[in-house]
Amino acid sequence: MSRLRRDPRAEREAMRIAGGARPRFSREASLPVSARPRRDPRAEIEALLVPGGTRPRLDRLSRGGVRPVRDEATSPSESTVQTRIVTEPAFLVAVVPDAPGGRLTPLDRQLFGAAHLLAAGGGAVLALAEPGHDDLAGVGADRVGPLAAVADYDPEARAAAVAQALESLNIRHALFAETAEGGDLARRVAARLGEPLFAGAESLTPKLVTRPARGRRVEQRRAPPRLVSLVADSVAPYGGASCEARAVELPAPVPTTGAILSAEIILADPATVPLGEAEFVVSAGNGVSDIPSFLDLARALRATPGASRMLCDAGLMPRAAQVGASGTVLGATCYLALGIAGAPQHLQGITGCEHVVAVNTDLHAAMVERAGLAIIADAHAVMPALIAALEDEP
Amino acid sequence: MKIVVLFSAGRHPASGAPCPVPVELQALRLARDLAGADEVIGLHAGPVDGAPLDALGHGLGRLIHLRMAQGDDPLPALAQVLEELAPDLILAGRIGQGGEDGGLLPYALARRLGRPILADAASLGAGDDGTLTVEQALPRGARRRVVLRLPALLTVHPAAAPALPFTFAAARRGTVERRDIAPAPAAASEMEERAYRPRPKLIARAAPGASAAERLKAATQAASSGGRLLVDPAPEEAAREILAHLRGIGVLRRRG
Repeated sequence: MSRLRRDPRAEREAMRIAGGARPRFSREASLPVSARPRRDPRAEIEALLVPGGTRPRLDRLSRGGVRPVRDEATSPSESTVQTRIVTEPAFLVAVVPDAPGGRLTPLDRQLFGAAHLLAAGGGAVLALAEPGHDDLAGVGADRVGPLAAVADYDPEARAAAVAQALESLNIRHALFAETAEGGDLARRVAARLGEPLFAGAESLTPKLVTRPARGRRVEQRRAPPRLVSLVADSVAPYGGASCEARAVELPAPVPTTGAILSAEIILADPATVPLGEAEFVVSAGNGVSDIPSFLDLARALRATPGASRMLCDAGLMPRAAQVGASGTVLGATCYLALGIAGAPQHLQGITGCEHVVAVNTDLHAAMVERAGLAIIADAHAVMPALIAALEDEP
Repeated sequence: MKIVVLFSAGRHPASGAPCPVPVELQALRLARDLAGADEVIGLHAGPVDGAPLDALGHGLGRLIHLRMAQGDDPLPALAQVLEELAPDLILAGRIGQGGEDGGLLPYALARRLGRPILADAASLGAGDDGTLTVEQALPRGARRRVVLRLPALLTVHPAAAPALPFTFAAARRGTVERRDIAPAPAAASEMEERAYRPRPKLIARAAPGASAAERLKAATQAASSGGRLLVDPAPEEAAREILAHLRGIGVLRRRG
């Protein structure tokens, strides 16, 4: 961008005060106003400062989208107020979380972050979810629209309820998760409303959304339309103050006659499911030498067995079971580590795991630090106790 | 049972040459396994028929190609032909190529035809009196068995059985019926297109501006949420704590 060239003589002529023998100038006469906002380098440096540490350190890399979204509705003077309250929202941004079994997934939390980006400037974030969810206020829902719970599998009824809510509440944007279920719902709603869907958005700002197309050769971009579905890890989750999650009345759902006669879920067999897809992985490390007992425990917990590099190198577990940078990177919800100290390469493999439970004899192991529940004990003693406790249960 | 498989104008991911979308060939196989070779018709709407022609070699006997100009909306023509053909079942890939690659067309088509749609079919089985048993692929290797009343439209998941191999004789035997259709210009879109540029993925709670060691630590360890620590508990107590924790997370399944 090139700056307009200044003409100092003309500027001085504009400041000249007429009359008088000597030339007189007034600086108060309006200077030519530049369209460019004036930079404040000190404030910029201040914003780049990384907190903590003895030396001042500047972070020049992560400017742009990936910071936790700051709450803009509450002014800094009200920083003691713990709740963000939007009394009269100018518009609504709806989030339709997947929330399998009432638990929000990481992508659902990112959807709320994206919704707060879109709701900047007086909007409120509305969560359209079945009742009985965990903490919607904490993840950033200003309003909650309780959808009628669909007893059996009936995606069309859910889509009808969402479409009806979008129409009746006059919602400006609706965000869906681009997963199997959320993507299906988004497309159903789009077909129902006859509107385009911006499917699989990879970046999102209030002015621009982008998505790959034609085999990731082309990037399509436009201003955010009404219906957007978002892929995982593109926007940071909402990091501001807790929201009020006030309930909103939704219109009563219109009963639909579905073509689905019956639906039953067939759970995956944990013994055969690929390690990368498994939901619950039990893993053994160098602290476990009793492999048959470990496999019994995996069977009793109905978890997929994994192992660290040490056990695979020793030939005690198959190479396909190896977890870590040179093995499988897990997408599991929960990881139970038995006798694993937690080498960085192993921890890279469980980055995506939401919950980690560690059993280890070393109090200072990295895995113990990473775990949500850490037990400092010998895995050989805990494994039979776990099997016995599982067998005692009804 | 009459089945129509929808084919889109696929492109090879590496070379960009026209080639069928793999999941559509899997849909073709599902259709052939369910109804036999004679009852399956391929349907494609697009300017040239390069990609779906290969499907003939993968076991498609008859292909109907609706010729339309580049950038036209294929929906009205497809709906019209499908109303004529009146198949019991319509199969489509998960996300077709050639248009916006958004996977919206099967849903819009189902809406226009007034048929129910079900996503991500992995295997099909004929039921009794006009029903169909569909195994739907769910994330994490699970399946959902759905009994559905026909007629219906299904999209197929890549977890379905692999496509039949290409044979040259079958490709020669197959017939293509070309029809010209009335132009239906697509609604103007404000979409702007650029060359694709991969965007940085959000790293889990990366501490901004930290050193490399700290970033690695953040990427590998930061997910812990103020964990509980039990030092040298009795094995029974440890087992109880672990099971209670796992139940709280909801990963432990009840025996049954």
